[in-house]
Amino acid sequence: MSKADRQLMIELENVDKFFGSFQALKGVNLTVGKGEKVVVCGPSGSGKSTLIRCINRLEQHNNGKIVVNGHELTGAVKDIDAVRREVGMVFQSFNLFPHLTVIDNLMLAPKLVRKTPKAENRKKAMRLLERVKIPEQADKWPSQLSGGQQQRVAIARALCMNPEIILFDEPTSALDPEMISEVLDVMIDLAREGMTMICVSHEMGFARSVADNVVFMDEGEIVESGPPGTFFDNPKNDRTKLFLKQILSH
Amino acid sequence: MSFDIELILDSIPKMLVGIGLTFELLFLSLALGTALGIFLLILRISGRWYLAAPTMVYIYIFRGTPILVQIFIIYYGLPQLEFVRDSIFWPILKEPFGCAIVALSLNTGAYLSEIFRGGVLGVDRGLTEAAAALGISVRQRFIYITSPIAIRLCLPAYSNDVVSLMKSTALASTITLLDMMGIARTIVAETYAPYEVFISVMVIYLVITWAIQRTFAWIEKRMSRHVRREA
Amino acid sequence: MAAVSGWWDDFFWGSLVVVELFFVALIMTVLFGLIGAGAKLSNSRVAKSIASGYTIVFRGTPEILVLLLFYFGSAIILTAIAQIFDPEIKFVDFPPFWAGSFAIALIIGSYATETFRGAFLGVDPGQIEAARALGLSNLQTFIYVRIPAMWRLALPPFGNHMLSLVKDTALVAIIGLEETLFVAEQAIAYTAKPFTMYIVVGAIYLGFSTIITLTVMGLERYANRHLEVWR
Repeated sequence: MSKADRQLMIELENVDKFFGSFQALKGVNLTVGKGEKVVVCGPSGSGKSTLIRCINRLEQHNNGKIVVNGHELTGAVKDIDAVRREVGMVFQSFNLFPHLTVIDNLMLAPKLVRKTPKAENRKKAMRLLERVKIPEQADKWPSQLSGGQQQRVAIARALCMNPEIILFDEPTSALDPEMISEVLDVMIDLAREGMTMICVSHEMGFARSVADNVVFMDEGEIVESGPPGTFFDNPKNDRTKLFLKQILSH
Repeated sequence: MSFDIELILDSIPKMLVGIGLTFELLFLSLALGTALGIFLLILRISGRWYLAAPTMVYIYIFRGTPILVQIFIIYYGLPQLEFVRDSIFWPILKEPFGCAIVALSLNTGAYLSEIFRGGVLGVDRGLTEAAAALGISVRQRFIYITSPIAIRLCLPAYSNDVVSLMKSTALASTITLLDMMGIARTIVAETYAPYEVFISVMVIYLVITWAIQRTFAWIEKRMSRHVRREA
Repeated sequence: MAAVSGWWDDFFWGSLVVVELFFVALIMTVLFGLIGAGAKLSNSRVAKSIASGYTIVFRGTPEILVLLLFYFGSAIILTAIAQIFDPEIKFVDFPPFWAGSFAIALIIGSYATETFRGAFLGVDPGQIEAARALGLSNLQTFIYVRIPAMWRLALPPFGNHMLSLVKDTALVAIIGLEETLFVAEQAIAYTAKPFTMYIVVGAIYLGFSTIITLTVMGLERYANRHLEVWR
């Protein structure tokens, strides 16, 4: 894709974020165009999660500018829920609503936010469950599913709101090894369909095959970023080299 | 000293007459106390100090003093104040029944709001975040996510509090009300047979406690369907 | 407040009675709680059923009923015994202080039974195994590993039991013990200021509750000091 016809979906400019006196983000700059996939990696505590949590304002940044799909998220945002409708999010710990069945987990937000008819919501929810390959689990409770199944439900739940962007916060870190690929497969499918994605992940194989841009963060800063080919095969920064060595050596 | 079976058989029906009043005290104060508890909870978690601080003082006072003293202040104490006698609440506060209800509700409301708060704080923050990320508003999150989970979490404590409240209704007998306890005390004063009468009424109270606990155990089981692994 | 001025010393002595009652009942509460918990954890079916009967009865009956049963019940027994020696005697009563502290201790002791039992079972079995694996004897394991772990678990609920205990002392005024509530009633008979006097009683109890709360908070901080290292 050439720079000229790149339509910006997310724009971060000099973003700082403090937790008390601790600075979690230091002057972060990042742009994501429509349909682009960005994988963010880095050691724990480097600010990766904080970064994507600022994009749908689960955390509020302190300085700098964040623009999401044309909405500026600076200062007092009038209708943050309107922005969040357009940005789906998938969490490390799934966060399915335990008191609702799988299908009700998917139907809740359309009912409350979009106020669309129940039959329509159900049809759509079933279609999405088929897409993540677990339609037969529709009437079960989340606690009856495996971790991998729960995470696929969580992805389907995010898709129910027709988001323009999906944020993934370490979606496979809480999974047993044998379940990682079933979740990654769903994410790869989504990527092929042209979804704009930011994914905090240490799945380097996934990054290599899917990402347009790989970002390495350390101590709240973006240390290095670039297309996977250059990033993995020819990293420039020493910190990046060390990190890649540690993560790929096992 | 002998155990007078006839007296027991004679006094149980008399005391059961008072069970209606015991239940009225229990259910009315429970309903009002629950409403008050929810109201106090909302003030407490509103995030505004000028709402939260008075609530904390209220809870502190009502949990830090004996319910008997609260009943006495309301029944014997308030009539000393002229503005209370002139207020629209006087028709309620001049009757012992009204005073008992007011005292029990105010007291149990303070305890319940702390129980509810415990339930709300027990809800995994990730769940409300997940709902927020879906664009669900603060209010809807509280109604559809936090509340149902919090209710299940605080059900055991709530059940204990209902038992406590039921036991506290017996204190209404100290302000002339003839609930089960009041009737039992009257019979004891007449017959001077504390064992027979008090043990009989004790059995009735124990049955009520048992019924309350069973009811809540049943509700809890129903509400916990989703955490059972078995399909 | 002017009306109270002549009564401060009486309230002071009344408060002292509350303090005495509190400590006497507290010691008995711990005793009953430990015996009850020991019985529940024992292998003896008889001891187990007696202990569960004890907790069911005393947690399910109104406090005032237990108190009156003890006071009047014990008076009947004492009178019967006294009449064996001297048929002229009409009435001997158990001192309200002892009847009151015993009744309160039995009630709170039934709650303490569950707390101690829960704390015993709540100790991580891994810690016990680790101690045994290091070659500590049963007794050493109990003293150096189980007791410290247990009291950390038992402290928060036991703090609540102490609050209930101090508040229950107010009930003993009903059987004529000259504690603060009783003083208030006398003062009201002279001054006709029920509101003022009962508020004073409430304030005194609030003071006691505050002292207990702060003490328990301090103890909890001490008990959990090992968790603060990383902060």
